Amino acid sequence: MKVLLDADACVGHGRCYAVAPRVFGADDLGRCVVLEADPNGELLEQARVGVRACPEQALSLDEPSS
Amino acid sequence: MEPTDAVNPQTREANPYLPSVAADPVPFYDRLRAHCPVASMEGMGGLGAHIISRYDDVRWALRHPEVFSSDIDALDIGQDRPLIPLQIDPPEHSHYRRVIDPTLSAREVAELEPEVRRVVGEVMDRFVERGTVDAHGEFTVPLPCTVFLAITGLPLSDLDRFLEWKDEIIRPGGGAPLEPEESAARRHAAGRAIYDYFEQVLADRAASPGDDLLSRYFTTETDGRTMSHEEMLDVSFLFILAGLDTVTSTLDCSLAFLAQHPEHRRRVAGDPASIPGVVEELLRRETPVMQILRLVKEPVELHGVKLEPGDTAILMLGSANTDPSEFGRDAAEFVPDRDPNRHLAFGGGPHRCLGSHLARLELRVALEEWHRRIPDYELAPGAELAYSPGIREITPLPLVFEPQPIPTGGRS
Repeated sequence: MKVLLDADACVGHGRCYAVAPRVFGADDLGRCVVLEADPNGELLEQARVGVRACPEQALSLDEPSS
Repeated sequence: MEPTDAVNPQTREANPYLPSVAADPVPFYDRLRAHCPVASMEGMGGLGAHIISRYDDVRWALRHPEVFSSDIDALDIGQDRPLIPLQIDPPEHSHYRRVIDPTLSAREVAELEPEVRRVVGEVMDRFVERGTVDAHGEFTVPLPCTVFLAITGLPLSDLDRFLEWKDEIIRPGGGAPLEPEESAARRHAAGRAIYDYFEQVLADRAASPGDDLLSRYFTTETDGRTMSHEEMLDVSFLFILAGLDTVTSTLDCSLAFLAQHPEHRRRVAGDPASIPGVVEELLRRETPVMQILRLVKEPVELHGVKLEPGDTAILMLGSANTDPSEFGRDAAEFVPDRDPNRHLAFGGGPHRCLGSHLARLELRVALEEWHRRIPDYELAPGAELAYSPGIREITPLPLVFEPQPIPTGGRS
């Protein structure tokens, strides 16, 4: 499961790292930095919360189709 | 008049600037989205003032500044020139934001939390023993201004001066009916006073820097440069014009809501860890800044309405934030742990509110300290709340509670 960031769409709302601080961090501008690009278990749950929190929909999860 | 009367589905006209709408906006928003997603401002038919109300449309407009520009001459807030970065469009805009954003990032403002908490405590000390308060005049107005003075290292004795300047610009002459020329003259006099004040302060800080927010303007470097003098002045100006009333109105709406919804108030008081989520839901459900303006730069058609260059677009953030297409069937309800909560209370796209992280810090700490010390409160008997349109302040906001002692020796 890969976390995908559309860096052009991120404007620094900072919701991802507020709700999922172990998966997402910030650069000096406050834009998203993916800390855990391939999360598992509990981190995957956090990643999902962070991804769906983004008001710009700049984040997505590459869910393998099974 | 009922708030829903402010939308006329036949003429597709609406008026969001009525006090009755500001007091109870959700039925107005629902009607607007359902009947005329691109409405005309009432009485301005043909002049091209369009009210855009659905979540997807507002979000799209915010993300397309080439169509919906912020370069609005009509927005007269006493400024000398288009304000950096508020009234500048991309691509120039991003050069400014890259150098300004770091000074107000979530990481930077997190360090201000102890100072913000101290200020909240001191403001509350002035009324907790009394058991009654005009929360607007005594809490939500002085709080953001006092926080600003504290984090910029300016003397507290300047508080009244700041509040006067801000009021002269937002409501010249205290809201009394004035000729447009006199309003503009008063705005510009207050604007001039703000520029002069910060010219002096910035010169002082350049000569003898401290560790306050203004001093950090001179040392925070992005892309090999620090903020220019004009950028520093404009951001300081925006602190006064965009950073005070917005926090005041959000706290007004928040305390009024919680005072009237004891089940939510008890939850907040009993579970402080819930407050960050509650802040987001209050920002969404109450959306204190109901709308923002944009100038149409390219022809665009939306829901069968043609928008022409030169037209004004009123983006109804409050309506987007209560749109069931994004927030589900309970969009009109207050859901303290709503997930996801992709509200647009701070706007979105490149102009996302520069101060959103500081605002969130102030709101969270204010609600934490308030409910720790005053867990139980309600509207004063017989109080009728008057909400101001546009930015939903409540003047006055009389609350009653059990008088509380001021802790001794805990605070220096």
